[in-house]
Amino acid sequence: MNNLFQYVPGNSLIHRLNPVSKLLLTVVICIAAFITDHIAVLLALLALDVLIGVTAGIAGRTWSILRGLLKIAAFLFLLQVLLIRGGTPVFWIITDLGLLNAAKVVLRLTVVCLPLALVLAVTRISDLTNALVQVLHVPYRYAFTLATAIRFIPQFLEEMSGIMEAQTARGVAFDQARGLKKFSMILPLCAPLLISSVRRTDQTAVAAEVRGFALRTRASAYKRYPFTRVDNAAVVFCAALLAAAILI
Amino acid sequence: MIELEHVSFAYGEQGPSVQDLSFRIEKGDFAAILGANGAGKTTTVRLIDGLLKPTSGRVLIDGADTATTKVSQRARRVGYLFQNPDRQICKNTVREEILFGLRTVRGDEGEDALNRRAEQVLEDFGFTGDEEPFSLSRGQRQRVALASILAVEPEVLILDEPTTGLDYRECCHIMDRIRRMNEEKQATVVMVCHDMEIVLDYARRALLMAGGRLVAEGPVPEIFRDTEKMEQASVLPPQIIGLGLRLGEGFEEAVTPEAMADAVLAWRKEGRRPE
Repeated sequence: MNNLFQYVPGNSLIHRLNPVSKLLLTVVICIAAFITDHIAVLLALLALDVLIGVTAGIAGRTWSILRGLLKIAAFLFLLQVLLIRGGTPVFWIITDLGLLNAAKVVLRLTVVCLPLALVLAVTRISDLTNALVQVLHVPYRYAFTLATAIRFIPQFLEEMSGIMEAQTARGVAFDQARGLKKFSMILPLCAPLLISSVRRTDQTAVAAEVRGFALRTRASAYKRYPFTRVDNAAVVFCAALLAAAILI
Repeated sequence: MIELEHVSFAYGEQGPSVQDLSFRIEKGDFAAILGANGAGKTTTVRLIDGLLKPTSGRVLIDGADTATTKVSQRARRVGYLFQNPDRQICKNTVREEILFGLRTVRGDEGEDALNRRAEQVLEDFGFTGDEEPFSLSRGQRQRVALASILAVEPEVLILDEPTTGLDYRECCHIMDRIRRMNEEKQATVVMVCHDMEIVLDYARRALLMAGGRLVAEGPVPEIFRDTEKMEQASVLPPQIIGLGLRLGEGFEEAVTPEAMADAVLAWRKEGRRPE
């Protein structure tokens, strides 16, 4: 699970895109997914997500993320199907409207989550931060906050896994419980996780301060992030995608 | 009794972390697993507790294969003190923390008995019980974690670098309690430790590891004096052992400052000087 958020080195077209272009593409896919109300468009967007993953040479990672999302999607699908009563009954309490809405919700979730995870796989966090500062002129403080939040996700997952392991060794039956029961056992562990997270954040802040965090400006990064023709093409593609989502 | 039979383990696609480990730790023994960083010490103790399943071989605790039972089911018999106490502590007061461990594995003994036991442990460890664990120092939090494990009175105690980051006084507090548990309750102790002075003071048996393999095992002073094996494992012996080896015959057996002083006085009485 932790690996899902790690950068995968590569030299694919997607890897070579400016981090801002990648971010733009991700945001546009998300917006398009929320604008459209057609299953066909959502399916096309999903295909685009997968195509991006394959082009970036991370088909395996894309599949892993999809598999992870499938579990949440299945739960959401079930909820939607059982709770939506409008439309024509198809079977028992399941209606055609319920099925249609459930399919849309699940597809939308997948289409939105997949590129967000993929962009982290094809972009170094430091590149993302620097590009946000240089290209979009985002204050370094905010870019750093965003980057740190992303960087902390796998660390928090590892911490949570460590806490669960330690509690299992004390006799808490994490290794025997499943589903809701396991979830209810996890809840009390949020306190130690929160405390260790606050501690870690505090330590990171102190470490950043003593390394001259406040002195950093837009010109501090030595690496440049120019917009190439491929990036321009990506921007045009994003505009076309957005227009298509609105018009169809 | 803990037995490892040709145990190997690899993390994912990385090379094996431990290879073909076979050893036995008798009931009531106090064993220390020694080695440089990456030697496979922590992996070995995690395999012993069943937190990791061997890719080949078997780990047996009193004849039962750890791969066939759940870790949580063994918690009553096997206690594990992690290097980071913050992963173990999950309650708002020290008393609740100790009671949490007791209720989890000894809930069948009744609330009164558990409360009495918790109070006894609190007194033994010098806590009032109302302290907030997360506002205590690192060493005190480690003591809280140890107290909640010892309260359960496990038959096997696994310690993963229990003294890391603690001052010497706090180290001694913790290690003295572990020794008492070992001597009074005949608990088997398996400890990973980088502090060789602590190992010499407390452990009776050493298992020396290098590159995921066991390179030597035996009584602690004997292992420390085996300079070839110690060098192979990139482990430096305690200063008292190094001093004894440098001074030569008559001093090698001295493993405490007192014994060394006696040895020197004996030489002086005889009117001789060390070589």
